[in-house]
Amino acid sequence: MKLKLIYSRENLGKPVLSEVISKTNLPINILEAKITLNTGEMLIDVPAIGEKLKEVSSLFQKAGLIVKEITRTIEIDRERCISCGACVSPCPVRAIIQDLNWDIDFNEQKCVGCGICVDACPVRAIRML
Amino acid sequence: MSEEIGTEKLRTYDEINQKIKRGDAIVLTADEFIKTVEESGLEKASKEVDVVTTGTFGAMCSSGAFINFGHADPPIKMFKCWLNDVPAYKGLAAVDCYIGATAMSETEGFEYGGGHVIEDLVSGKEIELRAEAYGTDCYPRRSIETTLTINDLNQAVLLNPRNAYERYNAATNSTDKILYTYMGTLLPCYGNITYCGAGQLSPLYKDKGFETIGIGTRIFLGGGVGYIVGEGTQHNPQNQLGTIMVRGDLKQMSSHYLRGATYHKYGTTLYVGVGIPLPIINERVAASVALKDDEIFTNILDYGIPSRNRPAVKKVSYTELKSGKVEINQKEIRSSSLSSYKVAKEIAITLKNWIIEGIFLLNRPAELIPNYREFKPLEVRGREPRVRDIMTREIIVGKPNDDIKSVAKILITKGVDHLPIVDNEGKLIGIITSWDLAKAVAHDKRQLHEIMTSKVITAKEDEVIDTVIRRMEQHNISGVPIVDQSNHIIGILTTDDISRKLVRRVIA
Repeated sequence: MKLKLIYSRENLGKPVLSEVISKTNLPINILEAKITLNTGEMLIDVPAIGEKLKEVSSLFQKAGLIVKEITRTIEIDRERCISCGACVSPCPVRAIIQDLNWDIDFNEQKCVGCGICVDACPVRAIRML
Repeated sequence: MSEEIGTEKLRTYDEINQKIKRGDAIVLTADEFIKTVEESGLEKASKEVDVVTTGTFGAMCSSGAFINFGHADPPIKMFKCWLNDVPAYKGLAAVDCYIGATAMSETEGFEYGGGHVIEDLVSGKEIELRAEAYGTDCYPRRSIETTLTINDLNQAVLLNPRNAYERYNAATNSTDKILYTYMGTLLPCYGNITYCGAGQLSPLYKDKGFETIGIGTRIFLGGGVGYIVGEGTQHNPQNQLGTIMVRGDLKQMSSHYLRGATYHKYGTTLYVGVGIPLPIINERVAASVALKDDEIFTNILDYGIPSRNRPAVKKVSYTELKSGKVEINQKEIRSSSLSSYKVAKEIAITLKNWIIEGIFLLNRPAELIPNYREFKPLEVRGREPRVRDIMTREIIVGKPNDDIKSVAKILITKGVDHLPIVDNEGKLIGIITSWDLAKAVAHDKRQLHEIMTSKVITAKEDEVIDTVIRRMEQHNISGVPIVDQSNHIIGILTTDDISRKLVRRVIA
């Protein structure tokens, strides 16, 4: 499950993520991080479901972070899509590929919601959710 | 002895059309013809097959439509006009205009342009027409605002000055910034490769000797029937960069094969579907039609270099490009297309079916398209401001061990924001801005080398100002040190220099 963590000014300097990793012993992966002097946002991939995932979320919440579960990232309008491929190679995490029939294949698991494909699509067939 | 170009040695256009009318013409798509040649050889295949169809569906910026609105009462001689806020060319008779694919909406900008207007017209959507005039004795009306659909128009003719490039360059980006180009989104540091063209289905590459393609060739255009008008602009056949000019009745076309498009931060365009039937009139044509993706090559150019002469990073075949990965400097780089091979295949199949059904006959061209055309660049005559004309030569530089406080004092007294840092030989090794100094104070740093930026964006004195302005915009900086070939600093160019000195030059 992908989680979006929102840091506030108060908890920005604390090693929250390291603490959660050492407590849960989960190999949490950072997919994207934007940290400035005042705010911070991080997209992480937590390899857990059910109770374990709830535990991870509540640890972050106890540390003062806002936690959002990211279930869906983008949507491709198949009616508008012309299967050109303009979104394929710009995808930094290879979540979009073209199959043998040149149709666009999207892997939600891999997507980090960066939005590069949204801008790359010449016919505006992709939108962020 | 070589026979004349366009010789109908294996079969004539008349013979082919007789067979089409009888329903016994052998028609294959280029993909199918390649397989047939692999199985039974070129000689046998070229004897058996009468026509091979091709297709391509890609962004073709040199596209647009001539429109005649009909006369209002009282009549107007439109001087300026807009379709859904997109300006159309009005240097024509009273109610004729040309709507070009790359013209952009005055209200929506990059998101809607002439290409979208054409798509919406073809889809039967209602379009807003707005026009202005100065009023004459014969055309008293001064303005008009109305709506129309394609059915209200007398003529709506797609006329594209340059379509269906034989092949095209592929693109990559060596810089450390993401680039948004007409070749799509290019990730930094050779992050990806984009390409266009249908390779072994590409109409013009399949008759690379231009033996059957000419003025009057009947083609598939945007889902309807169209014709080749002649060579396209920038036709450069000797480098396998031939192009064609095409026309067709927009009223017959389909928005499935004409799509308005936007290239992010570049502009609007039109995806056009073109398919050309190639009659197998002689063995040279057959051999060209049989060319496979692994025999069709193009160069991957570095679009990080904003120059007419972008350096080629690698020569690749369409097989490599279509495989989705290309190796550059021992690294596997993802490649993907901008034109749609899926729709290109659909076009070749549709055209094949039209011919088999007997509803599409081949037209012998009145004149073939030239297979050589001089390709000229545009020389800029007259003086164009270059870096050396406006850069500041009296520069203040720092040394890495300089004390921050004394440097801050110099910047204040001299009124400058940028301080290039040089070594003992005067070679550039870093830069400090007034913002860096503020940070130094905040973090209690003492010496310049602790806070300087060592990866400096620079310019050369013979560069054109516009190129350097774009570089400063891309890196969000307000000044660049000017260095010579051996990285010695010879001046500095800041946004201040540009706004003051350049503007003064223009006014003078």
